[in-house]
Amino acid sequence: MGDIKHRDKENDPDRMMRKGDKLTKLSLTRWTSDWARATPYYEQAANLFKIAKKTEKAKEAHERAAMGQERLASPWHAGKHMESAGALAKELGLWNEVADFFRRASELYIESGKPQPAAEALSRGGRALEDGLPDEAVKMYLEAVGIFEEEQREQMAFDTYRSATSLYIKLQRYTDAATMLLRWGQSADKCKATSTQCKTCVGAVIVYLYAQDFKQAEQCQNDLSMIDAYFQSEQNRFAEQLLNAYREGNPEEVKHVVKSSGVINHLDHMIIRLAKQLPVGDISHLAESSGAGGEAAAEGLEEDDLT
Amino acid sequence: MSIIDMLVRVDAICKKFDKYDPSKQHKDLIINPDDHFLQLYTTMEAEIEATVKKANEAAEEKNRAAVATMNAEIRRTKAALREEIPKLERLAKKKVKALSPEDLAARPDLVVALAARIDDIPEGTMMGAKKKKKIDKSHIEIKIDSAAADEAFSSERYEHTAESAAYQEEFQHRKNKQDQNLDIISEGLSTLKNMAEDISEELDKQDPMVGEMEEKIDKATGDLTKNNARMKEVVSKIRSGRNFCIDVILLCVLLGIAAYIYK
Repeated sequence: MGDIKHRDKENDPDRMMRKGDKLTKLSLTRWTSDWARATPYYEQAANLFKIAKKTEKAKEAHERAAMGQERLASPWHAGKHMESAGALAKELGLWNEVADFFRRASELYIESGKPQPAAEALSRGGRALEDGLPDEAVKMYLEAVGIFEEEQREQMAFDTYRSATSLYIKLQRYTDAATMLLRWGQSADKCKATSTQCKTCVGAVIVYLYAQDFKQAEQCQNDLSMIDAYFQSEQNRFAEQLLNAYREGNPEEVKHVVKSSGVINHLDHMIIRLAKQLPVGDISHLAESSGAGGEAAAEGLEEDDLT
Repeated sequence: MSIIDMLVRVDAICKKFDKYDPSKQHKDLIINPDDHFLQLYTTMEAEIEATVKKANEAAEEKNRAAVATMNAEIRRTKAALREEIPKLERLAKKKVKALSPEDLAARPDLVVALAARIDDIPEGTMMGAKKKKKIDKSHIEIKIDSAAADEAFSSERYEHTAESAAYQEEFQHRKNKQDQNLDIISEGLSTLKNMAEDISEELDKQDPMVGEMEEKIDKATGDLTKNNARMKEVVSKIRSGRNFCIDVILLCVLLGIAAYIYK
């Protein structure tokens, strides 16, 4: 079937490519590249290559088409082509190119005055790079999130937050994951998405506990209790129970709290996995150290609240 | 033979055949047709005698089934007779003419004696006595408003019998089952709640997007209608004159031929 298509003049992608190249290559007869006519050829070629599953050629065609659209002052279409090229590069495993393409696509989108698709392009680039260059992926996620926050479009950012958090956890960068969760909680707060906010806050506490950073977890919980919406939620109660179990230094109690709570089931599955593995490490030492200290801290807080 | 001999012989023969003398027989029964008491009394007496005879027969009978049936019959008659006793008592009090006052006073005693005789008829078993005892016992047990304080607070009353223990166990079992089912329901409800919250957040997210889309689409439709109107204007300008139509048709034909040749 593919051969029959190739025989047909109209549907021969190589021919299309050659035509496009002819129109753009500079030579004695041609002083300026005619992108206006060349671009449609390149686009068609790209589609045909994709159908024929010739990924390398399709990627090239997309690149050329993007260049053409750029010259034609339509950055939107250029961005679209760049993204397609990036996706194809991912299939080929050319990670650096993937990163470049998506970045370029995002820039083009910003040029065209559409920041949201730019951030989305970065997010997609990050997802594509997760396997290949995780650090680069992380960077792209952060950039995407930054753009979302700037543009006050936090609601669209939730998916990106989620992917970033899961990548951090995969890379075992737990403090970063918790920070990301807290950032997520903040944007949820701005959009009044209380349910998501509570879930992310609890997730942050759990991640801190998993990273065996009990102090940080406690502090986090204290900070979060200031938030009304979180304070009244069942997630808060669950977090309190969990921290109490930790303060007693009782691992069975911790396990019991996690198992018996209905809150856990509705969290993100990677956080559920972490929670199921609590308690990590030896928590019995927490019983003695935080026994006296915890009370004093609690009293100190109360005094502050009274003033 | 002397006359005295003849008289004596005639008397003896008359006495012998007295029972066949109808006038003599009625004498016993013509006590007084209005004396119902005596009538009833005599009938009951006759029945008692018959029952006693039967009881004697039953005592000698070897076949237990026959004995049982006979005893049952005796009991039935006894019960019937006992029922007649109150009637007899009423009649005993009635005054009957041609009856001496002593007789009248004696009649209630007769009734009581008769009742005793009825009870004395043996019915072959000890059941009568037993029944009496049992009834007394149940009377003792079923005391509804017993004022005896010590009985009310006796610990025996509050102890478990087998029945009440089983009842309580079943109650607990059913309660536990209900609790389990309620737990399942509560889990399902919490899942529903979470899903509903997520749906609500999604909708909040998508609401402004839909609004933007609507705006853009409205703008696009506006542009389209504008362009259509302008094109209509232009085309109607060109359409003036039939020659233009012919020109257009010929042009199309030429183009068609050219395309066919060069394809």
